[in-house]
Parts: sequence; C-alpha cells; structure tokens
Amino acid sequence: MRPETTMTPSIKAPLLSRRTRRWLEPGLTYLFMTALAFIFMIPLMWMLSTALKGRWEILAWPPQWIPTTPHWENFTEAFSRYPLGRFMLNSAFLVAANTVGQLLAVPLIAYGFARLRFPGKNSLFVIVLGTMMIPGHVKLIPLYTIYHRLGMIDTYWPLILPAFFGNPFFIFLMVQYMKTIPRDLDEAARIDGAGTWTILYKVILPLCKPPMTIIIVYTFLWTWNEFLHPLIYLNTFDSFPIQLGLSMFKGRYSVEWNLFMAATLISILPILILYFLVQRQLIGGIASVGLKG
Amino acid sequence: MLIDWRSMSFRERREALQGYLSISPWVIGFLFFTLVPVLVSVYFSFTQWTITSPSEWVGLHNYIRMFTQDPLFWQALKVTGNFVLISVPLKLIFGVALSLLLNLKVRGMNLYRTIFYIPAVISGVAVSLMWIWLLQPDTGVVNTLLALVGIKGPGWFWDPQWALPSVALMSVWSVGGSAIVYLAGLQNIPPHLYEAAKIDGAGAWQRFWRITIPLLTPTLFFQLVVEMIESFKVFTQAFVITKGGPLKATYFYLYYFYEEAFQNFNMGYASALAVVLMVIIMTATIILNYTSKHWVYYAAEEEATK
Amino acid sequence: MTKKVRNFSYMLLIVMVLLSACAGGQATTVAPVEESTEAPVEESTEAPAVQEPVTIEWWTVSSEEYTEQVQRDLAAAFESTHPNIKVNVTVLPEGGFSEKMTTALGAGEGVPDVAFFWDNNWFPEALDLRPFIERDNFDTSMYIPGFWKTRALWNDTVVGLPLGVGAQFVMYNKDVFDEMGVTYPSEDWTTEEYLTKVAQLNDPDQKRWGSDRPRRPFRALWFNYGPDVRLYSDDSMIVDGYLNSPGSIAAYIWAWDLVDTGATPTPADIEVLGTEGTGPIDLFMAGRLAMATLNQGHMLNALNAGVNFGIVPEPGVAGNERFVNAWSLTSSIWKGTEHPDEAWTFLSWWVGPEGQRYLMENGNLFPSINSVLNEYEDADEEYAQAFFKVLELTQVSEWRNAHPCNSTVLRAVGDVWDKIMFGEIERDQIQAELDAIVPAAQESLDECRERLGG
Repeated sequence: MRPETTMTPSIKAPLLSRRTRRWLEPGLTYLFMTALAFIFMIPLMWMLSTALKGRWEILAWPPQWIPTTPHWENFTEAFSRYPLGRFMLNSAFLVAANTVGQLLAVPLIAYGFARLRFPGKNSLFVIVLGTMMIPGHVKLIPLYTIYHRLGMIDTYWPLILPAFFGNPFFIFLMVQYMKTIPRDLDEAARIDGAGTWTILYKVILPLCKPPMTIIIVYTFLWTWNEFLHPLIYLNTFDSFPIQLGLSMFKGRYSVEWNLFMAATLISILPILILYFLVQRQLIGGIASVGLKG
Repeated sequence: MLIDWRSMSFRERREALQGYLSISPWVIGFLFFTLVPVLVSVYFSFTQWTITSPSEWVGLHNYIRMFTQDPLFWQALKVTGNFVLISVPLKLIFGVALSLLLNLKVRGMNLYRTIFYIPAVISGVAVSLMWIWLLQPDTGVVNTLLALVGIKGPGWFWDPQWALPSVALMSVWSVGGSAIVYLAGLQNIPPHLYEAAKIDGAGAWQRFWRITIPLLTPTLFFQLVVEMIESFKVFTQAFVITKGGPLKATYFYLYYFYEEAFQNFNMGYASALAVVLMVIIMTATIILNYTSKHWVYYAAEEEATK
Repeated sequence: MTKKVRNFSYMLLIVMVLLSACAGGQATTVAPVEESTEAPVEESTEAPAVQEPVTIEWWTVSSEEYTEQVQRDLAAAFESTHPNIKVNVTVLPEGGFSEKMTTALGAGEGVPDVAFFWDNNWFPEALDLRPFIERDNFDTSMYIPGFWKTRALWNDTVVGLPLGVGAQFVMYNKDVFDEMGVTYPSEDWTTEEYLTKVAQLNDPDQKRWGSDRPRRPFRALWFNYGPDVRLYSDDSMIVDGYLNSPGSIAAYIWAWDLVDTGATPTPADIEVLGTEGTGPIDLFMAGRLAMATLNQGHMLNALNAGVNFGIVPEPGVAGNERFVNAWSLTSSIWKGTEHPDEAWTFLSWWVGPEGQRYLMENGNLFPSINSVLNEYEDADEEYAQAFFKVLELTQVSEWRNAHPCNSTVLRAVGDVWDKIMFGEIERDQIQAELDAIVPAAQESLDECRERLGG
C-alpha cells in the first residue's frame, strides 16, 4: 500500500490478520469515501430537487425532497426562454481563447522567474504577486475607459486579451512548480548543446503537465463562471456568455427558482465533464515527469 | 533599480536579456491592464469623487478620516482579519486531508474526485443559496441532523456569533478546488523516496512528516498565499447572504468597499479603501514570502547551492 | 550563439503566428455580433430616398413587466414608424444594470443615449428635457402627478420621463382568513388591527405565519406614524428629533411588538432564498403567509396562479395621513449624447402613450399615464381597482426628497434594526438605543453632505 493510507483507520489494525486487512482496508476506505461523497452531493441533489419543482413549490411545507410530480419540462422551458445553448457556446469560445492565451504566456513568463537570472527579478516577482491582490471592482472604471478608447466595447477582446499576458495566479503556480524541477536536467541539456529556449520547451515544459492541467481546469472554471466583466463589456444579447444568461431568470420582483436551478445544473455539466476527463491527464502527468531514475 | 551592465559577463548579460524577454508579456500586460488602472485608483484616493461630479483634490483627507473617524473601517478590518485567521488554516488542513484521500489507489477514484470537486464549480448565487438552505436554523439539513443526535444547532448566518464561522465553513466546503492543486503536488513526489524510506524502516506517520509534508511545502506555500489573498477579498457571501449583518458580524472589507463605491457613489473614499487593502495584503504576502525561505523546500534550489 | 538566436526567433515566430491565428479566429466569431448592428445601416444607404439613419444606444433590463423579446419588438415597432432612427437595444439582467451604468458613467464614456436613470445619484448626468418639452408642446400632465413630481423633476429640471408604476401594499390570502375565521382587513385599518390579525392568523402546526415583517425601517408604514418621522430634517441637516422622534420610536416599538407576536417569519425564514428580496412572495404563494407586503408584480403572480387574494393599503395610524411606497422608473437621456434629438424622439415615444400602451398590451407594465392605465384589460376587476386606489395615496417623502445621504444614515440605524429583528433588545430600551445612535448618524450625514454638497 502507498504511504498515504495513513488516513485510513488501518494503522491501528495490526491485531487483525493480513488477510482480513486486505479486504477490510479498501472496504473501510470505500465506506468512508462514499459517505463523504454523499455529503458533498447534497448541493446537487437539492438543486435537482428544486429544478424539478413547480414555480411556487420551493418553500412549500412540509418540504419535499422528491417532488410528487416532477416537472422535467422545466429543463426544456429554461432553454426555450433564453438561447442558453448559444450562451454556452459563447462561453466555450471564451474558455478556449483564454486557455490558449494562458498556456502560451504562463510557461514563458514563469521560466524567466524560475530559472533565468536578471537584475530586479525578485522585486518584479513581488509585483506579480501584488497584482493578485487588487480587487476586480477597483479596476473597473479605468479599464472600461481603456477598452472604450481602444474601440473594444461590445467585442470579446476585453475578455480575452488579458489571458495572453498571463494570469499572476498561474505564473506563481508555474514558478513554484518549475522550482521543484532539478536543475541537473537543465545542465545536462545545456551540455548537449540546448539553448535557453530549447530547455524551456523541450526539457522543462514536458515536466509541467500537472500545473498545465491545473491552469486548464481553473481557466475553464473562472471563465465559465465570470459574470462581472462580460456584463460590463458586452452589449449584444447574442454574444452573452452563460452566466449573464442565467441571471436573466432573476426578475425585478421574483426569481423563477426552478428554471434558474435547471439552467444552472445544465451549465455546470461541461465543467464536470472536462474535469472528469482531464484528471486522467493530471495523473498521466506523473508518469511523464521521469524523476524515477 | 539601476543595472550595471558593465560588471556583468557576456553570459550574464545574455541571460538577463533572455530573462527580460521571457517575462515581457507579463510586463506589457501589467503596464496596460494593471498599473494604469491602479495608478488611476491611487489618484482618486486623494480626491472626493461622486462619479457624476468632477473629482476634487482633497489630499490625505480620505486616509485621515479612515484611520481616525471611521468606525466602519475598523469593523470591516476586524471582521476580515478574523475571517482570514479562521478560514485559511481550515482550508489548508481540509484541503490537504482531502487530497490525501483522493490520492489513495482505489478503483473508481476518478468518480470520487469529480464528486468532491462539484461544490467548487457551482458558483456565486447558486452555492450561496444552497448554504442558506442547508444552514436554515429550524428547517435546514444541518440542524435537522444535529437535532437527531440531540444537539440544538446554532442560528448560523442569523446569529451574530455564528455568522462569520458559517461563512468560513462555507468556504471549506468548496475545498475540492484547492485539493486538486495539492493532489498535483502529491503526484509530483517521486515514489522512490517512499520506497527508500520504507526500506530504512520508517513508519507511515514518519513518512508523512518527513517526505510528504516537506516535498509538499512549495504547493502549501502557494496555496497559503493564494488562499490568504482570496480570503481578504471575500465578498460574494456577504453580498448574497448576510448583507454584512447581523450586527455587522460579516461586514467584510470588500463589502464595505462595494457599498461605498457602488451604492453610495463615494468613489474617492472607496479608492482609498482599496489602496489600503492592497497595502495590507501586499505586506502580508511579503512577510509570508520572507518566511518561506525557512520552511519551503525547493529541490532545485537545494541542488543549485550545493 | 547564432544557433540560439535562431532558435529564439523561431519560438517568437511561432508565438506570433499562434497569437494572430487566435486573433483571426476570434475576429470571425465577434464579427456576427457587429454585423447585426451594422447591416441595416448598409442596407439603407442603398435606398436613396431615405437619409442615412442615426443609431442610438438604448440600455434596458429584462423584467416581469417587459421581457427581452417584448422590448426588442418595441424597438422594431418604433423603427418601422421612424425610418431615420435606428435603436440599438442592450437588454441586461436586472441584477447587473446598476454596476454597468455606474461604470460607464464613472468612465464618462460609452454611456448609452437612452437608459433608466433609476438611481438619484445619476441625475446630474441626465440631459435636462425642458427644452424638448417646450419645443414639442409635450403634454407632461398626462403622467400621474405623484410620479411626475417624484421621478421626473429634480432640482427644478426634468431629468427623465417616468416609465410604469409600482407600489407596495398588503396582499392577503382570503382562503386563510376564512379558514381561521378572521375578518378581511379594510382600507382604513390600523397598525393595532394589523398586530391583532397577525396573531390570530398564525398557525405553527402548518408552519404558516400571520404576515411577513418589514425588512427595512423608514418605509411607508413608518411615515404613517406622523409628520415627524424622518431620517433627518427636510433641509437634510439634523438627525436629532427625527430619527428618534416620538413617531419614529412608536414605529420601532410597533416593529418590536410585531416580532414579539412570534407570528412572523424570522430573517432566517424569510431570507431562505437569499436577499433577492423575493422571500415574501415565495412564502405567500406557498400558502405559508396569511398576509404580506408585496407589490403589483407579485399581484400578477398570484393572479396567474389562481390564489384567492385581496389588496389593501399598508395599515395606518388613526388620524394621520397615509403614505404609500410607490415607484416609477426614471428614463433619461445621457447628457453626453451625440444625438439628443433622436434620443428624445425615441424616449418620448417609448415612455409616451404609445410605448407604454405597447408594453402594457404585450408585457405586464402598468403605465404611468392615467388615460392608458384605464385601458387596462381588467381595469374593472376588484384587484385592479384596489391597486389603483393605493396609487392615489401620497408617496413617501423618502422619494420626494430622496437625498443620496439616505442610505448612509440608514446604515447607522442598521444595528438597532437588527437587534429588534433578532429579539436582542427589550421594548423599553428602544428609545435609549435610538438616542444613542443619533451622534453616529449625524456624523454620517455631515460627512455625506460635505461630500455631496447639500
């Protein structure tokens, strides 16, 4: 077993025979994991339950977990109300563009901070960290002015461009990772005649799959869930991303909770599917790290 | 920051140049999309500006008022500071614990990993609503379960004493997001270290403290900084659930900022609030960064200094 | 060295190519968005008879009264009768309109030509409409006077035209009243009667409450407690004697008594769907509130769902004038517009009889023009009559002298309010608590007045 099994109660089990432990250990693990997973699933179950209720049944007493007459049509109704499919496609495009931007910019920038020596590096890195600390609302008005002067209001540019200059969170993450890669590898490559950039793209980057995966997952998550910036920069209804679409279900005097929850549920599906698929990559990352030798 | 090119060797100069080249995208982005807006904010922090009237220079007035005459500022600072102190350690501990669990080699782990990630992907209003509903004192799931074992649950968001811990608890729930970062860190620990330690007779507990934790410190440091910053910037929960109450128990700093900027249109003062927050977080980060030299373990650095 | 330089330039080239490829790919995706706004302009240049139309930007929100589609159709209807003006509609979610407007106004550019200026703080940025009104002999007397006074006039200028009307009133569930054997409330009922009925209607077994609670002080109910009930004096100078006047104290004590009946949902019960302000309607529609302070939007909800309900104004104090919390949306032209004439043509059509009639017939708007409001399809029905009657009451002065400092001072009262709502204060402590917060409230007012100048 792996050392991480410290978390299972099996440490206290030397009294039991080896054979009992063999099935008891994973058994207990499953039991514990399933219980925990159940607790973590409660929000989804509640959302699903709400999504299947009638317009005014949400606060009915006594509360119902499973609606007596499930309103499956809420899902189709939500889609017929607003072009949610279109909104999700718009979001998907923004996600793709942002991911490309981050993946191009972040490794390059992080490489400079993690590996190359140049005057002022440490102070500049502190500034990188510093930019993570600025609350988004603070920059809103000046940025609106800048993008307006650039003629970029009601285009996707303000929502894409920043990605190509690297997100400080990701730069920081990448720097942390690159620092854990032994310098012996660089040196060996350098002796073989590789230049600075070859080392980055041929030696370092292939070892950075875990942080790259994290970048992809988080870019997806953040871009998908972004509300404030699309709201400020976009005017054309058909160009709205999914979060703006979801908020359309909230009216001035009341909210159509059942439709809102149905639409929200559908909108998180792409993230969950991506995550489910990508985590194999996350694990695949180790195999290619090649530190075993 | 004067650069003395002459004292550098050709190789050093070339490396410095390459260094600047590699970080140049960030520098450009920083200048246009961060520095300019921040300087504008700093400028406005010295003015009185209500959006519709032209801004008027008032010097340090906003800052003086903040520190000497504004009890709300101190309240917001106290609440936010407490929140950082409660939520950051909680999130670190639970995040690492969850990632250890998710690192177990059992079948179907992919599914579990996805499930634990769910709370992290449901954003904003939906997740806040879910929490209001879960923690409703009379009818919520949590207090109903507590009542089954004979405990009378607290008023959660609606009890001045419990409101802040409730928001912290809520942030622990979505720890699945940071757990995947730890998981990536765990996966990066070379297995041969464990094997070697096993041969040397180290127990599971020892291996955890001697290998897992030290090799995880770069990730821990990263998450510590990120989560501290995120905690200082806590806003949505107060905005959707508590509106800063009850009795200003969840009157978070950014919530105060938002009220001043977008509800009272007190933009000059709000800018000053933002500048002070930036300085506070920056100071905290620099301190953390300084201490990191003593506890964060970098394989590469270690070898380089040998 | 040369090899390294070459390697690097390759790398740079690849990055550049990728960058431009992305840019290209994105441009095409963005393009349809822009085409849709520009295409008609091109078409019209082909038609020689019509002069090139002017495009004006219009920002609005999607709400129960007018959905996204209805407003799109409205713009199209306008364009069909005004071929020289094109209206570019931006329909925003209600929850984001304020932030977007504030950002644009703060930037001083990229502000739409026509939009709601629903926050009084924005009024200085609205175009004064008096010259247009005079020039066109635009009949402003068609608007219900209360709304014209409160939502169009500001500092002796006309900052906008009032679109639609809304008001708060008490809606009661007749079935519950019948079940509990309680008589229906009358138009001139009092705050004491309210407390009695609330207690009678409460039914803990069914988790049903007598009524909801006010969720903020100084609303219509407050003003019913007398002319001295204000946050501060009419000249916005003094807090003492207003916020803690005998009338104010009586109103707070009434709120305390209401909480004390135990017959109203706690904040935890009412905010269970978040602070979207929709708690009461969801509880009312679920049959868990016998009475609730709701509005005309909720009234339509109840109507559609077939709830057996009645409408009365909020209870008053015997002998005092009665007030109503009512509103209309100030629809304005931005001061910086490049097309003031076209913007006025659209605004006066949209908020004029034609536009409001269109929104009433195709949406759920109650127009702010009496002659159009009387055309409402159910105008003779009991509920509509009751609603119209509420509209005739005097509107609370928080709107009339809606000084932007209102919210700052109100924030100072927040703690006392919370204590009452959470039952953390004794009845006889209320006066002392109110007196105690007067200095802090005065300080907030002074600071705000100094900042905003009066």
